[in-house]
Amino acid sequence: MEPDGNFPLPPPFDEAVRRHEHELMRYLMRTTRDREDALDVFQEMWLRAYRAWPTLASAEGVRPWLYRIATNLCLNRSRDRMRRARVIAEDAPEFVSETSSINGSNEAVVHLRDAIAALPSKQREAFVMRKFGGLDYEEIAAALACSPESARAGVYQALKKLRAAAGG
Amino acid sequence: MKHRAIARKVPRRARPDAEAVSILADDLPAPPDAAIAGDGIDAMVEDAHRRMARALRRFRRPAVRAGITESPLGRLLVAEGPRGLLAVAYLDTPGAAAPLEALRSGYDVIEDSAVAVRVREEIDRLLAGDSAPIDGHPVDLSLVAGDFQRRALAHLRRVPPGAVVTYQGLAEAIGAPSGQRAIGNSMASNPLPVYVPCHRVIRSDGAIGNYGGGVERKLSLLRAEGFEIGPDKRLPPQAVWGHRRSHIFCRPGCAAVRRASRPRWMIFADAEHACGAGMRPCKLCAPA
Repeated sequence: MEPDGNFPLPPPFDEAVRRHEHELMRYLMRTTRDREDALDVFQEMWLRAYRAWPTLASAEGVRPWLYRIATNLCLNRSRDRMRRARVIAEDAPEFVSETSSINGSNEAVVHLRDAIAALPSKQREAFVMRKFGGLDYEEIAAALACSPESARAGVYQALKKLRAAAGG
Repeated sequence: MKHRAIARKVPRRARPDAEAVSILADDLPAPPDAAIAGDGIDAMVEDAHRRMARALRRFRRPAVRAGITESPLGRLLVAEGPRGLLAVAYLDTPGAAAPLEALRSGYDVIEDSAVAVRVREEIDRLLAGDSAPIDGHPVDLSLVAGDFQRRALAHLRRVPPGAVVTYQGLAEAIGAPSGQRAIGNSMASNPLPVYVPCHRVIRSDGAIGNYGGGVERKLSLLRAEGFEIGPDKRLPPQAVWGHRRSHIFCRPGCAAVRRASRPRWMIFADAEHACGAGMRPCKLCAPA
């Protein structure tokens, strides 16, 4: 490779893993709040990224793209969990009422998550990447293939809806 | 049933906690969570590595090293796998993106300039008259699309510099006597030009024909290998026909050329190249 060359490829997969794994693990821990969940999503995220690696056009956008995969996996997971919880609630009321009455503040967080999961997908992804991933609007825009203004508007709309849902 | 009633009574919008409130206060990133400590994350990453290595092993793509080089034949993309050279692509041609896509879908492509530098040196030496480094460089025909093309290209590796075969002759040699057009297509999509010498295939009428990297490149390669090709882009009059089996070479019009089976003929740049390839002159037409 010429020193000035522009090799038309993203970095090797393993290099990207090394570069981003810690911040993504932190992000996953933050969004899932569960060690096992975070580990599961982490692995699934990298496996998906690996499979899709050949479709990546360039080095730019690798980070937001990874955040997008991570975000979607987390949000899908919490949605599935809610669905499951609802089924359990009907089948085994004792179990659910016991856990939900033990920790009231957890419930508020669950409600916030519930409300996040109910957001339109673009607002939801933008909000989670912004709040828990700490991405800037340029990066969110790259991940969602939209303009930074539209990413900002998505977060704004999400905040508005979540505040309303929280009754505040 | 009593419990169920309690669970239902909890209002959905009740009690937003302090954290939820602070998260919804503005659009700034939420402050780091003190409960998620750095060394805890390190341990998790370690743990995840072990699990991932197991899962990845199942569908890991083989690694190839690839780079770009400025060669005398133009800008080239070069890729080499563990079994040999996989791709050489002229980057200024319309189909230049195809080999890279093919590489990326089947391999983990790692940028490495050393491979490209080595190929450039070998091409320099070929153009200076020394084909040994290229002949000795192992090639991997994995990117070749089908069995027909693979057979055609494998056969071509046996045509030495200073010699050419015809599309028709190559078609017959791999057992497809009516396949000269398919041979043309196979040459056009050769993933390893120069290393699999598709420039050493010409038309039966003596015109040098087309080339995936452009006719000018085919001309420079054939000229570097000893063919004195003029502006008419045809084989020179001193070219001779050599028979692979009998190791005898003849003038183009010799009766022996018309008689013997076509797949076994190669056309040499001149008598000297034919002798260099271990052939002796025909006693009928006395080409040397």
